[in-house]
Amino acid sequence: MRHLAYLDAGSGSLIVQAVVGGVAGAAVAAKLYWRRLTARFRRRPSDRP
Amino acid sequence: MTTPDTGVRVEPGSFRDPANRVFYADGQVLRGLDARAAEDWRALAASEFFPPLLAAGKVCGTEPVAPDRFRAPDGGPWAAVLRHERIPFVSHPYEWSFGMLRDAALLHLEVLRAALAAGFTTKDGSAYNLQWHGARPVFIDVGSFEPARDGEPWAGYRQFCQTLLYPLLLTAHLGVDFQPWLRAQVDGIPPEQMRRLFTGTRRLLPGVPTHVHLHCAMQQRHAAATTSDVRAQLRTAGYSRQLALATVRRIEKLVRRLAPRHAPSHWIDYQRTCTYSAGDRAAKERFVTAALTAGPPPGLVLDLGANDGRYARIAARHAGYVVAVEQDPVVVDELYAALRAEDQRRVLPLVMDLADPSPGGGWRGVERAPFATRARADLVLALAVVHHLAIGRNVPLAQVVDQLAAACAPGGRLVVEFVHPEDPMTRRLLANRPPGLFGDYRPDEFARLLATRCRIERRAELPSGTRTLYQAVVGG
Repeated sequence: MRHLAYLDAGSGSLIVQAVVGGVAGAAVAAKLYWRRLTARFRRRPSDRP
Repeated sequence: MTTPDTGVRVEPGSFRDPANRVFYADGQVLRGLDARAAEDWRALAASEFFPPLLAAGKVCGTEPVAPDRFRAPDGGPWAAVLRHERIPFVSHPYEWSFGMLRDAALLHLEVLRAALAAGFTTKDGSAYNLQWHGARPVFIDVGSFEPARDGEPWAGYRQFCQTLLYPLLLTAHLGVDFQPWLRAQVDGIPPEQMRRLFTGTRRLLPGVPTHVHLHCAMQQRHAAATTSDVRAQLRTAGYSRQLALATVRRIEKLVRRLAPRHAPSHWIDYQRTCTYSAGDRAAKERFVTAALTAGPPPGLVLDLGANDGRYARIAARHAGYVVAVEQDPVVVDELYAALRAEDQRRVLPLVMDLADPSPGGGWRGVERAPFATRARADLVLALAVVHHLAIGRNVPLAQVVDQLAAACAPGGRLVVEFVHPEDPMTRRLLANRPPGLFGDYRPDEFARLLATRCRIERRAELPSGTRTLYQAVVGG
């Protein structure tokens, strides 16, 4: 699968690059965290049997 | 350069990326590529950014050759084989000065920026991706290029931090030499170590809040997340190629403004404070020049204890390539800056203590070759260095001579200066030692030891009368 590089890039090392990229990057990082947060709440109803 | 390769020999440092492997055959440096890497190579060769980097000498010379003569380690065929130009002398980042490491980092970022703009990236970000043509860095890991996937950050960022950015921050912000840190850890300095060094107000120094503290915190926080999940999330959140480029530009800006905070060095004034008379210096230069031109032009010259590079520069006029080894990082940094300004491509300055030369490093101790196996020179200059080893470091005189001879390829020449015990520089070293400790440190004993290992061709006393120069052939 092409998406896996030979080198473990490190999940944290990938995310921090967004912040290094300046205001636009920080916005991407914020969006990522926001999506993660809301995903938690969105998932709940569908998780029920 | 001096030892031609016979048969196929796999480069022991080339195994981390299984898609391609460097090996040597018929004296050539070759790189075997698997099917996927071969596809990436074809895309790279046809790209807009790669040929200009090659033409400018920023990436090492590379051309495809017929792959059918060579076999992959599993016995199967390579999908493609590339031939690289030979780097005159392979060195390691822990042998570079601050300025060298910074310029190597800047070249890596420049290459990455050009690649990103053209829709490519590099799979990694290691300081070991770079080598030198004299005082010019060159990117050697052609197998590292691959087409970029839109919306993905640089996979090599962590490696770049650990092997390039963090060592630079150590010297720039703390005044700590980075070389021992890199030599001890083949993967560089981890963020957790850096975080502990940058506490209190040091947290706020340029580059530290994000690349060290935030990076470390993110690593710990996301240790359980897979990189493919994070990549997908970043892409959905809008991470773009422009953002990746902006990140690289910001790192470049940071690296460019880092300056070394060196401790004062007494070696930096050595040429001014040492006791050479103008007559000594002129006689020494004549002797060295005559040795350099005594036979066919030497391919590789090692200048051990090069200081400000005076004799390395003279050697470069008569030899293919000169490696100027000096122990003091500040002195090497000044020499590098001068050579870089001259665009000198045939003198490579290196930081190394001759009494503690680079050992083998990395996996099985062979991934990074020790200095001793790389240093087989056609001519070795050891000027005003014997007394520092024999008296300054207590190395038995016979072993000093052995080591100098071992640095010469068979038939190579050794130009060595013996500074007599009466010379002011030797007296300064002897002053701190009990009388009689170095009873064998005498001109006649040195000449005898040299004659048992080499054929002495020529000797000359310098006008001061306290220094003798020898020209000798090793194994000749």
